[in-house]
Amino acid sequence: MSATQTTIITYLGTPIFGICLSILLFLFGQWLFKIGKGFFLFQPLFVGMVLGIFVLWLMAKAFGVDVTWFYTNAYKPGGDIIFWFLNPATIAFAVPLYKRNDIVKRFWLEILISLIVGLFISLFVIYGVSKLLGMDNNGIASMLPQAATTAIAMPISGAIGGTPAITAMACILNAVLIYALATWLIKLFHLTEPIGQGLGLGTAGHTVGSAKALQLSSASGAMAAIAVVIISIVVDLVVPTFANFMGLIK
Amino acid sequence: MADKAKVTQTTSDEKKDAPILVQMGIFAAVLFVSSLISPLFPPTFPVPVPVIGLVLLYLLLTFHIVKVEWVDKFATFMISLIAFLFVPSGIQLTASLNIMKAQGLQIIIAIIISTVVLLVVVAYTTSFFIWIRKTVFHGDVSVSDEVKK
Repeated sequence: MSATQTTIITYLGTPIFGICLSILLFLFGQWLFKIGKGFFLFQPLFVGMVLGIFVLWLMAKAFGVDVTWFYTNAYKPGGDIIFWFLNPATIAFAVPLYKRNDIVKRFWLEILISLIVGLFISLFVIYGVSKLLGMDNNGIASMLPQAATTAIAMPISGAIGGTPAITAMACILNAVLIYALATWLIKLFHLTEPIGQGLGLGTAGHTVGSAKALQLSSASGAMAAIAVVIISIVVDLVVPTFANFMGLIK
Repeated sequence: MADKAKVTQTTSDEKKDAPILVQMGIFAAVLFVSSLISPLFPPTFPVPVPVIGLVLLYLLLTFHIVKVEWVDKFATFMISLIAFLFVPSGIQLTASLNIMKAQGLQIIIAIIISTVVLLVVVAYTTSFFIWIRKTVFHGDVSVSDEVKK
Protein backbone atom coordinates (compact mmCIF):
# COMPACT_ATOMS: atom_id res chain seq x y z
CA MET A 1 0.00 0.00 0.00
CA SER A 2 1.38 3.36 -1.01
CA ALA A 3 1.84 6.33 1.33
CA THR A 4 -1.04 8.22 -0.33
CA GLN A 5 -3.37 5.26 0.23
CA THR A 6 -2.44 5.13 3.92
CA THR A 7 -3.08 8.87 4.25
CA ILE A 8 -6.47 8.54 2.53
CA ILE A 9 -7.49 5.69 4.87
CA THR A 10 -6.37 7.68 7.92
CA TYR A 11 -8.24 10.87 7.03
CA LEU A 12 -11.17 9.73 4.85
CA GLY A 13 -11.56 6.11 5.92
CA THR A 14 -14.00 6.92 8.74
CA PRO A 15 -17.74 6.77 7.98
CA ILE A 16 -18.24 10.50 8.60
CA PHE A 17 -16.71 11.49 5.23
CA GLY A 18 -19.25 9.45 3.26
CA ILE A 19 -22.13 10.65 5.45
CA CYS A 20 -21.16 14.33 5.13
CA LEU A 21 -20.62 14.06 1.38
CA SER A 22 -24.03 12.38 0.88
CA ILE A 23 -25.89 14.95 2.99
CA LEU A 24 -24.12 17.90 1.35
CA LEU A 25 -24.76 16.66 -2.18
CA PHE A 26 -28.41 15.89 -1.44
CA LEU A 27 -28.98 19.31 0.14
CA PHE A 28 -27.26 20.91 -2.86
CA GLY A 29 -29.61 18.89 -5.07
CA GLN A 30 -32.65 20.14 -3.12
CA TRP A 31 -31.44 23.73 -3.48
CA LEU A 32 -30.79 23.26 -7.21
CA PHE A 33 -34.24 21.68 -7.63
CA LYS A 34 -35.82 24.69 -5.90
CA ILE A 35 -34.05 27.40 -7.91
CA GLY A 36 -34.35 25.31 -11.11
CA LYS A 37 -38.15 25.45 -10.64
CA GLY A 38 -38.42 21.67 -10.49
CA PHE A 39 -36.51 20.82 -13.67
CA PHE A 40 -36.56 16.99 -13.71
CA LEU A 41 -32.79 16.52 -14.09
CA PHE A 42 -32.31 18.57 -10.89
CA GLN A 43 -34.09 15.96 -8.73
CA PRO A 44 -31.99 15.81 -5.51
CA LEU A 45 -31.44 12.04 -5.76
CA PHE A 46 -30.23 12.31 -9.36
CA VAL A 47 -28.02 15.33 -8.61
CA GLY A 48 -26.58 13.61 -5.53
CA MET A 49 -25.81 10.45 -7.47
CA VAL A 50 -24.22 12.09 -10.53
CA LEU A 51 -22.23 14.67 -8.55
CA GLY A 52 -21.21 12.02 -6.01
CA ILE A 53 -19.75 9.79 -8.71
CA PHE A 54 -18.07 12.80 -10.30
CA VAL A 55 -16.59 14.07 -7.01
CA LEU A 56 -15.25 10.62 -6.08
CA TRP A 57 -13.78 10.18 -9.57
CA LEU A 58 -12.19 13.63 -9.40
CA MET A 59 -10.72 13.01 -5.92
CA ALA A 60 -9.38 9.60 -6.97
CA LYS A 61 -7.70 11.21 -9.99
CA ALA A 62 -6.30 14.03 -7.81
CA PHE A 63 -4.80 11.51 -5.35
CA GLY A 64 -3.68 9.29 -8.21
CA VAL A 65 -5.48 6.17 -6.94
CA ASP A 66 -7.91 3.74 -8.59
CA VAL A 67 -11.53 5.02 -8.58
CA THR A 68 -13.04 1.75 -7.31
CA TRP A 69 -10.41 1.55 -4.57
CA PHE A 70 -11.12 5.12 -3.52
CA TYR A 71 -14.88 4.47 -3.49
CA THR A 72 -14.52 1.32 -1.38
CA ASN A 73 -12.13 2.82 1.17
CA ALA A 74 -13.27 6.43 1.45
CA TYR A 75 -16.97 6.64 0.59
CA LYS A 76 -18.37 3.16 1.29
CA PRO A 77 -17.93 3.12 5.12
CA GLY A 78 -20.26 6.13 5.43
CA GLY A 79 -22.46 5.15 2.49
CA ASP A 80 -23.14 1.75 4.08
CA ILE A 81 -24.46 3.38 7.25
CA ILE A 82 -26.98 5.48 5.31
CA PHE A 83 -27.77 2.48 3.11
CA TRP A 84 -28.61 0.38 6.18
CA PHE A 85 -31.46 2.74 7.05
CA LEU A 86 -33.26 1.58 3.90
CA ASN A 87 -34.21 -1.47 6.02
CA PRO A 88 -36.47 0.41 8.49
CA ALA A 89 -37.55 2.76 5.68
CA THR A 90 -38.85 -0.18 3.63
CA ILE A 91 -40.64 -1.64 6.66
CA ALA A 92 -42.23 1.79 7.23
CA PHE A 93 -44.38 1.28 4.12
CA ALA A 94 -46.47 -1.19 6.15
CA VAL A 95 -48.13 1.88 7.72
CA PRO A 96 -49.52 3.57 4.56
CA LEU A 97 -50.45 0.07 3.37
CA TYR A 98 -52.38 -0.64 6.59
CA LYS A 99 -54.09 2.75 6.43
CA ARG A 100 -55.59 1.79 3.06
CA ASN A 101 -56.44 -1.78 4.06
CA ASP A 102 -59.93 -1.09 2.66
CA ILE A 103 -58.51 -1.17 -0.89
CA VAL A 104 -56.33 -4.21 -0.20
CA LYS A 105 -59.33 -6.17 1.09
CA ARG A 106 -61.54 -5.21 -1.87
CA PHE A 107 -59.04 -5.52 -4.70
CA TRP A 108 -56.57 -8.22 -3.58
CA LEU A 109 -57.49 -10.50 -6.48
CA GLU A 110 -57.06 -7.75 -9.10
CA ILE A 111 -53.77 -6.69 -7.47
CA LEU A 112 -52.38 -10.22 -7.54
CA ILE A 113 -53.50 -11.05 -11.09
CA SER A 114 -52.41 -7.67 -12.47
CA LEU A 115 -48.91 -7.96 -11.00
CA ILE A 116 -48.41 -11.51 -12.30
CA VAL A 117 -49.83 -10.81 -15.79
CA GLY A 118 -48.14 -7.37 -15.94
CA LEU A 119 -44.77 -8.88 -15.06
CA PHE A 120 -45.15 -11.61 -17.70
CA ILE A 121 -45.94 -9.08 -20.45
CA SER A 122 -43.09 -6.84 -19.28
CA LEU A 123 -40.62 -9.75 -19.32
CA PHE A 124 -41.43 -10.45 -22.98
CA VAL A 125 -41.06 -6.77 -23.89
CA ILE A 126 -37.80 -6.39 -21.93
CA TYR A 127 -36.47 -9.57 -23.56
CA GLY A 128 -37.38 -8.28 -27.01
CA VAL A 129 -35.97 -4.80 -26.44
CA SER A 130 -32.69 -6.17 -25.04
CA LYS A 131 -32.40 -8.51 -28.02
CA LEU A 132 -33.06 -5.62 -30.44
CA LEU A 133 -30.34 -3.59 -28.73
CA GLY A 134 -27.97 -6.42 -29.57
CA MET A 135 -27.33 -7.59 -26.01
CA ASP A 136 -25.98 -11.10 -25.43
CA ASN A 137 -27.66 -13.71 -23.20
CA ASN A 138 -25.67 -12.48 -20.22
CA GLY A 139 -26.95 -8.92 -20.71
CA ILE A 140 -30.56 -10.04 -21.21
CA ALA A 141 -30.45 -12.23 -18.09
CA SER A 142 -29.17 -9.22 -16.16
CA MET A 143 -32.18 -7.14 -17.29
CA LEU A 144 -34.97 -9.60 -16.45
CA PRO A 145 -35.09 -9.60 -12.60
CA GLN A 146 -34.99 -5.79 -12.19
CA ALA A 147 -38.63 -5.46 -11.05
CA ALA A 148 -37.71 -7.14 -7.76
CA THR A 149 -36.01 -5.32 -4.93
CA THR A 150 -32.18 -5.35 -5.27
CA ALA A 151 -31.61 -8.03 -2.62
CA ILE A 152 -33.84 -10.46 -4.53
CA ALA A 153 -32.90 -9.37 -8.06
CA MET A 154 -29.13 -9.85 -7.63
CA PRO A 155 -29.02 -13.58 -6.69
CA ILE A 156 -31.66 -14.40 -9.33
CA SER A 157 -29.61 -12.58 -11.96
CA GLY A 158 -26.61 -14.71 -11.03
CA ALA A 159 -28.69 -17.90 -11.09
CA ILE A 160 -30.02 -17.31 -14.61
CA GLY A 161 -26.63 -16.44 -16.08
CA GLY A 162 -26.64 -12.66 -15.72
CA THR A 163 -24.20 -10.30 -14.00
CA PRO A 164 -25.54 -9.33 -10.54
CA ALA A 165 -23.68 -5.96 -10.59
CA ILE A 166 -25.51 -4.90 -13.78
CA THR A 167 -28.85 -5.99 -12.27
CA ALA A 168 -28.11 -3.96 -9.14
CA MET A 169 -27.35 -1.00 -11.38
CA ALA A 170 -30.70 -1.52 -13.14
CA CYS A 171 -32.58 -1.55 -9.81
CA ILE A 172 -30.88 1.67 -8.72
CA LEU A 173 -31.49 3.42 -12.04
CA ASN A 174 -35.15 2.26 -11.97
CA ALA A 175 -35.58 4.15 -8.73
CA VAL A 176 -33.69 7.24 -9.88
CA LEU A 177 -35.58 7.36 -13.19
CA ILE A 178 -39.00 6.91 -11.58
CA TYR A 179 -38.16 9.57 -9.00
CA ALA A 180 -37.18 11.98 -11.78
CA LEU A 181 -39.74 11.10 -14.47
CA ALA A 182 -42.83 9.69 -12.69
CA THR A 183 -44.88 12.90 -12.85
CA TRP A 184 -44.13 13.35 -16.55
CA LEU A 185 -44.71 9.68 -17.45
CA ILE A 186 -48.04 9.62 -15.60
CA LYS A 187 -49.19 12.61 -17.61
CA LEU A 188 -47.83 11.21 -20.88
CA PHE A 189 -49.54 7.81 -20.52
CA HIS A 190 -52.64 9.08 -18.63
CA LEU A 191 -52.08 6.77 -15.67
CA THR A 192 -54.72 8.44 -13.54
CA GLU A 193 -56.47 5.39 -12.08
CA PRO A 194 -54.92 5.21 -8.55
CA ILE A 195 -54.63 1.41 -8.17
CA GLY A 196 -52.85 0.84 -11.48
CA GLN A 197 -50.76 3.96 -10.98
CA GLY A 198 -49.60 2.77 -7.54
CA LEU A 199 -48.86 -0.79 -8.63
CA GLY A 200 -46.92 0.52 -11.64
CA LEU A 201 -44.87 2.96 -9.57
CA GLY A 202 -44.06 0.31 -6.95
CA THR A 203 -43.03 -2.22 -9.61
CA ALA A 204 -40.92 0.13 -11.70
CA GLY A 205 -39.48 2.35 -8.96
CA HIS A 206 -39.27 0.05 -5.91
CA THR A 207 -39.37 1.86 -2.54
CA VAL A 208 -38.59 5.22 -4.15
CA GLY A 209 -41.56 4.68 -6.45
CA SER A 210 -43.70 4.04 -3.36
CA ALA A 211 -42.58 7.32 -1.80
CA LYS A 212 -43.47 9.07 -5.05
CA ALA A 213 -46.86 7.32 -5.21
CA LEU A 214 -47.59 8.36 -1.63
CA GLN A 215 -47.18 11.99 -2.70
CA LEU A 216 -49.86 11.47 -5.36
CA SER A 217 -52.51 9.85 -3.13
CA SER A 218 -52.81 7.55 -0.13
CA ALA A 219 -54.46 4.92 -2.35
CA SER A 220 -51.63 5.03 -4.86
CA GLY A 221 -49.01 4.89 -2.08
CA ALA A 222 -50.58 1.84 -0.45
CA MET A 223 -50.75 0.05 -3.81
CA ALA A 224 -47.09 0.84 -4.51
CA ALA A 225 -46.09 -0.59 -1.12
CA ILE A 226 -47.97 -3.82 -1.79
CA ALA A 227 -46.47 -3.99 -5.31
CA VAL A 228 -42.92 -3.85 -3.90
CA VAL A 229 -43.57 -6.94 -1.78
CA ILE A 230 -45.69 -9.01 -4.17
CA ILE A 231 -43.66 -8.28 -7.33
CA SER A 232 -40.44 -9.32 -5.57
CA ILE A 233 -41.94 -12.67 -4.64
CA VAL A 234 -43.47 -13.07 -8.13
CA VAL A 235 -40.06 -12.34 -9.70
CA ASP A 236 -38.56 -14.90 -7.33
CA LEU A 237 -40.96 -17.52 -8.71
CA VAL A 238 -41.45 -16.48 -12.34
CA VAL A 239 -38.14 -15.16 -13.73
CA PRO A 240 -36.05 -18.38 -13.45
CA THR A 241 -38.84 -20.28 -15.26
CA PHE A 242 -39.05 -17.58 -17.92
CA ALA A 243 -35.28 -17.59 -18.44
CA ASN A 244 -35.34 -21.37 -18.73
CA PHE A 245 -38.18 -21.20 -21.26
CA MET A 246 -36.30 -18.60 -23.33
CA GLY A 247 -33.19 -20.78 -23.33
CA LEU A 248 -31.06 -18.33 -21.34
CA ILE A 249 -29.87 -21.04 -18.93
CA LYS A 250 -27.65 -23.58 -20.59
CA MET B 1 -72.88 10.42 8.26
CA ALA B 2 -70.85 13.57 8.13
CA ASP B 3 -71.21 13.98 11.91
CA LYS B 4 -70.09 10.42 12.50
CA ALA B 5 -67.02 10.97 10.33
CA LYS B 6 -66.26 14.09 12.30
CA VAL B 7 -66.51 12.24 15.59
CA THR B 8 -64.12 9.48 14.48
CA GLN B 9 -61.79 12.20 13.23
CA THR B 10 -61.64 13.92 16.63
CA THR B 11 -61.23 10.71 18.62
CA SER B 12 -58.42 9.59 16.37
CA ASP B 13 -56.73 12.96 16.81
CA GLU B 14 -56.84 12.47 20.56
CA LYS B 15 -54.94 9.19 20.27
CA LYS B 16 -51.45 9.78 21.53
CA ASP B 17 -48.43 8.98 19.40
CA ALA B 18 -46.02 6.66 21.20
CA PRO B 19 -42.68 8.26 22.19
CA ILE B 20 -40.24 8.19 19.28
CA LEU B 21 -37.85 5.81 21.07
CA VAL B 22 -40.68 3.31 21.55
CA GLN B 23 -41.52 3.63 17.85
CA MET B 24 -37.89 2.99 16.94
CA GLY B 25 -37.88 0.06 19.33
CA ILE B 26 -40.83 -1.55 17.53
CA PHE B 27 -39.05 -1.09 14.19
CA ALA B 28 -35.86 -2.58 15.63
CA ALA B 29 -37.74 -5.56 17.05
CA VAL B 30 -39.51 -6.22 13.73
CA LEU B 31 -36.17 -5.98 11.89
CA PHE B 32 -34.55 -8.36 14.36
CA VAL B 33 -37.27 -10.99 14.04
CA SER B 34 -37.17 -10.60 10.23
CA SER B 35 -33.41 -11.14 10.21
CA LEU B 36 -34.03 -14.42 12.08
CA ILE B 37 -36.68 -15.51 9.56
CA SER B 38 -34.82 -14.51 6.37
CA PRO B 39 -32.08 -17.24 6.50
CA LEU B 40 -34.82 -19.90 6.73
CA PHE B 41 -35.59 -19.38 3.04
CA PRO B 42 -33.50 -21.48 0.62
CA PRO B 43 -30.83 -19.67 -1.47
CA THR B 44 -32.86 -20.43 -4.61
CA PHE B 45 -35.81 -18.48 -3.19
CA PRO B 46 -34.28 -15.48 -1.41
CA VAL B 47 -36.59 -13.24 0.63
CA PRO B 48 -34.66 -10.27 2.04
CA VAL B 49 -35.07 -8.95 5.59
CA PRO B 50 -36.93 -5.68 4.76
CA VAL B 51 -39.53 -7.52 2.64
CA ILE B 52 -40.26 -9.91 5.54
CA GLY B 53 -40.29 -6.91 7.90
CA LEU B 54 -42.84 -5.05 5.79
CA VAL B 55 -45.17 -8.07 5.74
CA LEU B 56 -44.62 -8.68 9.46
CA LEU B 57 -45.39 -5.09 10.51
CA TYR B 58 -48.39 -5.04 8.17
CA LEU B 59 -49.75 -8.23 9.80
CA LEU B 60 -49.10 -6.85 13.30
CA LEU B 61 -51.08 -3.73 12.36
CA THR B 62 -53.88 -5.65 10.62
CA PHE B 63 -54.38 -7.98 13.61
CA HIS B 64 -54.26 -4.95 15.94
CA ILE B 65 -51.30 -6.32 17.89
CA VAL B 66 -49.46 -3.08 17.13
CA LYS B 67 -51.54 0.09 17.06
CA VAL B 68 -50.92 2.44 14.16
CA GLU B 69 -50.14 5.39 16.45
CA TRP B 70 -47.27 3.38 17.93
CA VAL B 71 -45.39 3.43 14.62
CA ASP B 72 -47.00 6.16 12.50
CA LYS B 73 -44.69 9.08 13.23
CA PHE B 74 -41.40 7.23 12.77
CA ALA B 75 -42.71 5.50 9.63
CA THR B 76 -43.73 8.84 8.07
CA PHE B 77 -40.31 10.26 8.94
CA MET B 78 -38.43 7.29 7.41
CA ILE B 79 -40.53 7.46 4.23
CA SER B 80 -39.80 11.16 3.87
CA LEU B 81 -36.07 10.26 3.88
CA ILE B 82 -36.27 7.57 1.16
CA ALA B 83 -34.81 9.66 -1.67
CA PHE B 84 -31.83 10.66 0.48
CA LEU B 85 -31.27 7.10 1.69
CA PHE B 86 -30.90 6.04 -1.94
CA VAL B 87 -27.98 8.43 -2.62
CA PRO B 88 -25.30 5.88 -1.53
CA SER B 89 -26.90 3.24 -3.78
CA GLY B 90 -26.60 5.66 -6.68
CA ILE B 91 -23.01 6.52 -5.83
CA GLN B 92 -22.32 2.77 -5.57
CA LEU B 93 -22.28 2.83 -9.39
CA THR B 94 -18.77 4.29 -9.07
CA ALA B 95 -17.65 0.72 -8.40
CA SER B 96 -19.22 -0.41 -11.72
CA LEU B 97 -17.66 2.32 -13.89
CA ASN B 98 -15.68 -0.26 -15.89
CA ILE B 99 -18.86 -2.18 -16.81
CA MET B 100 -20.35 1.15 -17.89
CA LYS B 101 -17.31 1.87 -20.05
CA ALA B 102 -17.56 -1.50 -21.80
CA GLN B 103 -21.28 -1.58 -22.71
CA GLY B 104 -22.74 1.36 -20.80
CA LEU B 105 -24.95 3.02 -23.40
CA GLN B 106 -26.65 -0.23 -24.42
CA ILE B 107 -27.36 -1.16 -20.80
CA ILE B 108 -28.62 2.29 -19.86
CA ILE B 109 -31.00 2.45 -22.84
CA ALA B 110 -32.29 -1.04 -21.98
CA ILE B 111 -32.82 0.01 -18.34
CA ILE B 112 -34.63 3.24 -19.27
CA ILE B 113 -36.99 1.36 -21.62
CA SER B 114 -37.51 -1.43 -19.06
CA THR B 115 -38.45 1.09 -16.36
CA VAL B 116 -41.06 2.75 -18.56
CA VAL B 117 -42.34 -0.67 -19.74
CA LEU B 118 -42.78 -1.94 -16.16
CA LEU B 119 -44.63 1.22 -15.09
CA VAL B 120 -46.94 1.43 -18.09
CA VAL B 121 -47.63 -2.29 -18.58
CA VAL B 122 -48.45 -2.92 -14.91
CA ALA B 123 -50.61 0.22 -14.71
CA TYR B 124 -52.56 -0.63 -17.88
CA THR B 125 -52.93 -4.31 -16.93
CA THR B 126 -54.40 -3.27 -13.59
CA SER B 127 -56.77 -0.81 -15.22
CA PHE B 128 -57.85 -3.60 -17.56
CA PHE B 129 -58.68 -6.01 -14.72
CA ILE B 130 -60.48 -3.26 -12.81
CA TRP B 131 -62.42 -2.47 -15.97
CA ILE B 132 -63.41 -6.17 -16.14
CA ARG B 133 -64.66 -6.04 -12.54
CA LYS B 134 -66.67 -2.96 -13.40
CA THR B 135 -68.24 -4.05 -16.71
CA VAL B 136 -68.42 -7.85 -16.44
CA PHE B 137 -69.17 -8.24 -12.73
CA HIS B 138 -70.70 -4.76 -12.24
CA GLY B 139 -68.52 -4.31 -9.19
CA ASP B 140 -67.96 -1.08 -7.36
CA VAL B 141 -64.55 0.29 -8.31
CA SER B 142 -64.68 3.72 -6.72
CA VAL B 143 -61.69 4.43 -4.51
CA SER B 144 -62.08 7.08 -1.85
CA ASP B 145 -59.13 9.23 -0.96
CA GLU B 146 -59.82 9.48 2.77
CA VAL B 147 -57.18 8.01 5.03
CA LYS B 148 -58.21 5.60 7.76
CA LYS B 149 -56.59 6.82 10.94
